Amino acid sequence: MRKTTHLLALATALSLGGAATAQCDTIASLCEKHIAAAYIPDGQFYRALLREDETAEFNLTLFGGTTYRVAACSGHSDGNLLFSVYDKDRNLLYSNKEFNNDPYWDLVIASTIDVTIEANLDQSKASSGCAVMLIGFKK
Amino acid sequence: MMVHNSLKWAVTAAISMLLLACGGGSTATDGQTPQADPLDTVRKTDASLMKIGGKLFSIPSPVQTALLIRKLGLPYQKELPMSNEAVDKMATKAQRALALGAYGADLAYVTVHKDGQRALNTLQTVQKLSGQLELSNAFDQTLLDGFKKSLNNEDSLLRFTGTAFRAADRYLKDNDRNDVSALVLTGGWLEGMFLIMSGPADKMEATLTNRVGEQRRTLENLIALLGDTDTEKTQGTLIAGLKDLLTAFDGVSTTYTFETPTVDAAHKTTYINSTSTVTMAPEKFKAIGDKVKALRSTLTA
Repeated sequence: MRKTTHLLALATALSLGGAATAQCDTIASLCEKHIAAAYIPDGQFYRALLREDETAEFNLTLFGGTTYRVAACSGHSDGNLLFSVYDKDRNLLYSNKEFNNDPYWDLVIASTIDVTIEANLDQSKASSGCAVMLIGFKK
Repeated sequence: MMVHNSLKWAVTAAISMLLLACGGGSTATDGQTPQADPLDTVRKTDASLMKIGGKLFSIPSPVQTALLIRKLGLPYQKELPMSNEAVDKMATKAQRALALGAYGADLAYVTVHKDGQRALNTLQTVQKLSGQLELSNAFDQTLLDGFKKSLNNEDSLLRFTGTAFRAADRYLKDNDRNDVSALVLTGGWLEGMFLIMSGPADKMEATLTNRVGEQRRTLENLIALLGDTDTEKTQGTLIAGLKDLLTAFDGVSTTYTFETPTVDAAHKTTYINSTSTVTMAPEKFKAIGDKVKALRSTLTA
């Protein structure tokens, strides 16, 4: 009985991982449409499973003279994910909260800058889910 | 008690994930405060699958490095990219993962220099490595065919490459192979650094040295990423090498001045006006370059 139950638990855990992965993949596919043809994908896939007020933190360097597109998605519709961009001194550079939770935004970088992007769910719309962030840049 | 807990855990987690998977996340409606859901169990089951509320690291695309090399007018040096034959010497998962990233950087380099045949050969090498690393079909025949058709369209080629590498990264993360993902990124970054630091000495203008000096945080991120994902503890030498390279950045001074951003809401654009500077002595640039070249030589050793 004990062995059977452990096997059941293991099988469940494996299937749960698959379900979470499938959810993130679906969101990623929806989010990719925001990285338009004019942008080159940075080749990376960022995701985090969030619940309630948890925050995912992305650390990156944005190079001067480049226009970046940041797309951030959760759930099956736009606007569920809040994301804010801070410089290393925690000055707020951009937040989509000020723009109706827009799922994507362009950042035109004058000088190279180290930033942190923080993403969390808009709790009035979702209390848990997979957060996906994609980045592209213009040539 | 243990049996009971296992069963309870499994059932609770199953119900939670079914709700999450079917509904795209727990959703609040009618302005009501969403109820806390039992995703704590999911956090436990998925702890290795996804970072939760933790730090994620982004490594600049080597395509950006290749574009900068061209923008600066550095000459195309055919001998710089790794030979496509070198791939046959790579026997371990780590060697292949590092090489996959490095060939990705090379692919961008030869593409922006319009060397179509070399680009095609490099893509075939990438395809071979991805097969050896069991990367599903991120670099499949469809990609190769599309690449061939777009040989004269640089934008399409770079987009193809970026999309394929992102698909590979997604596949690796989906399958809890974050160690391989980190190694691919490391290989790409290292090769990009090698390419940009191997130009003629008389072409080492400020834009280029600044770009090198600006890599400190990326290098710190890479070291953290490799440390996080090296669960098999097989990358000690590589991490030590990168830490040694990081020491070469000591003495590279940077300044940062915050300026209020400007927003163009109609075009969904924010102009980040803050300014930064990098100051690096020529000997410092050389010291970093020497360490980069030494580390890069280990990719094909």
